[in-house]
Amino acid sequence: MFSAPFRPLVSLSAALACALIASAAQAQAPAAPAAPPSWQQGRNAEQEKSTLHPFAIEVTGKSAKELPLDKLKVPEGFKVEVWAEGLPGARSMALGSKGTVFVGTRQLKDVYAVVDRGGKREVKTILKGLESPNGVVFSRGTLYVAERHRITRYDGIENRLDNPPEAKVVVDGLDPQNQPGHFWKFLALGPDGKLYYNVGAPGNIVMPAYFQAAISRVDPRTGIVENYALGVRNSVGFDWHPQTKQLWFTNHGRDWLGDESPNDTLHVATRKGLHFGYPFCHQGDTLDPEFGKHRSCSEFAPPALKLGAHIAPIGMRFYTGKMFPAEYQNNIFIAMRGSWNRTIKQGYNVTRVSFDSDGKPKMEPFLTGFLVDEKADPPMWGRPNDVMVMRDGSLLVSDDQNGIIYRVSYGTK
Amino acid sequence: MNGHHGAVAMFAAALSFFPPCAAPAAEEVPQRAQACTVCHGPGGNSTDPAVPSLAGQPAQFISMQLFLFRQGDRKDPQMSPIAANLSNADMNELAAYFTRQRPASPSHQSARENAAAGRRLAEQYHCVQCHGPALLGLQHIPRLAGQQFAYLRTQLRGFKAKIRADFDGNMTSVAELLSERDIEILADYLSGLTPARD
Ligand code: HEC
Ligand code: HEC
Repeated sequence: MFSAPFRPLVSLSAALACALIASAAQAQAPAAPAAPPSWQQGRNAEQEKSTLHPFAIEVTGKSAKELPLDKLKVPEGFKVEVWAEGLPGARSMALGSKGTVFVGTRQLKDVYAVVDRGGKREVKTILKGLESPNGVVFSRGTLYVAERHRITRYDGIENRLDNPPEAKVVVDGLDPQNQPGHFWKFLALGPDGKLYYNVGAPGNIVMPAYFQAAISRVDPRTGIVENYALGVRNSVGFDWHPQTKQLWFTNHGRDWLGDESPNDTLHVATRKGLHFGYPFCHQGDTLDPEFGKHRSCSEFAPPALKLGAHIAPIGMRFYTGKMFPAEYQNNIFIAMRGSWNRTIKQGYNVTRVSFDSDGKPKMEPFLTGFLVDEKADPPMWGRPNDVMVMRDGSLLVSDDQNGIIYRVSYGTK
Repeated sequence: MNGHHGAVAMFAAALSFFPPCAAPAAEEVPQRAQACTVCHGPGGNSTDPAVPSLAGQPAQFISMQLFLFRQGDRKDPQMSPIAANLSNADMNELAAYFTRQRPASPSHQSARENAAAGRRLAEQYHCVQCHGPALLGLQHIPRLAGQQFAYLRTQLRGFKAKIRADFDGNMTSVAELLSERDIEILADYLSGLTPARD
């Protein structure tokens, strides 16, 4: 595009600076051309002028007193309060057997532990320098952490939060291509004792490799890995139905197909090996304009529920606690991180999914108020990221925008 | 599409978090920020070609850069040791102070031919989509209007060479497309822009 004759003569100092920069660059990074950021991938020529962009988190966090907490709303009889602050980038949560709350991050490198000391929460950064340690699971004294490339275990960690043990590798090599796009992993422990994790699509709309756009599982005893669900663009939240023991998961639809299309989705994997459509078919009924030309949506498992376009469902859990009213039993709470790829923003809440007598799911907002102006940039002051049911039946909600954890309780005044 | 109100909304959001100061000049400089103004100039308006102005930068941009210096992702012999000793709360406090300061009119005079050529490049490479139509920045994206010329040029070269930290990869892929001549024109154009909110 820019041919050599256009090169101007540069001054000596500039030339020196360039030479220095070039040699430093050689030392630091291979000279591969930088691909456009993956959130831009799949835009048409007109959309290249769009001002829509993903929002960055506050990497230094916000203190609760800086936030308009009075805007938060929960249904009658419920109460929402700040449970812990000072956890920049807080995402997935896991509960230790002694009550420690472990919290992973995606854009930072830290894992936190929150300890309740007589009603006051103390936050410790227990692991540092990890690669997008988004996924956390706690089971039988062991903390499992999913980084972009591996899953590790920290045995007995709850007894030594100030002096955590060395990581032991459960499985490595999960990111052999250093993939762009959706490389961070959610982690959950299945009823079969295996660890389930996602490997997202390496871009907005691209053909994934066999291990990508999938939910996979690894047996922590053997390290053996297998795909469980296929055609899943990116799922960063899943849980098992308390009665059927089937895997339910949220999924992010592709971007740049307009404000209303396609929906992000809630799915149930009734068995291993189902294909949920990506990149060929979206939301169960919409063929991709490029990848779907020669396919049919009937080849793929449809979603259980359409959640809204670009609404960004992240963590989800079945409610099994004893605190909320009986009709909440086995409902699903989903943290909707909120849309960016939409001119009118939506989401930025915690949504409740309940089931009618035929088992048909329906949804309604549960915790709202983070979204202030759906047309503004930014439209929100906070972003729910994960939900977790505590032993007392209250619900914790992490907010990675501000590094805050909220607590929703019922019947407390 | 919705870009025209982006910067305004950001500013409004900033105002809603921090009470507006009636007379910017009269605001007391927090203890911690006084050390910064030695290099970054009074009120964060730098007069040193190698030191960036901080006045009126989006708060999120300032705190993120301080964070990147502390993490060691961004390195500078002067800034790195300073950021190493700052807590998250310190960074937020400093960001809150400097975002409230009014940017001074630029001392830099753009070459006449670069006013149009620079604008053309800023549109061609979509600088205006991210940095805002008036290049005043928003959220974690910096104000470029009225920034020091030499500083802008160094940063663009740094992104192109992949030696300047880049939180989300956005700038590296843009700068890679720029020729040395584009960088010269853009820096000259941007540095001469008056950083006015209205
Ligand atoms: C000794 C001089 C010096 C002092 C004191 C100093 N800085 Fe800096 N600062 C610099 C230089 C030089 C740079 C540019 C570094 C580069 O070229 O990457 C910089 C860069 C920055 C940046 C990045 C701005 C941008 O546009 O990318 C921020 C933010 C910043 N400083 C904040 C502060 C704060 C806050 C303080 C006070 C706590 C401070 N600085 C004190 C010299 C200084
Ligand atoms: C896709 C969004 C995007 C586009 C397009 C973009 N920028 Fe940026 N720019 C950013 C972000 C984000 C940062 C902050 C990077 C960081 O430090 O992580 C930045 C930082 C910069 C900086 C560093 C300024 C400072 O004070 O440190 C300069 C200079 C800059 N951009 C110039 C440009 C120019 C010139 C263009 C067009 C050729 C452009 N940008 C296009 C997002 C963008």
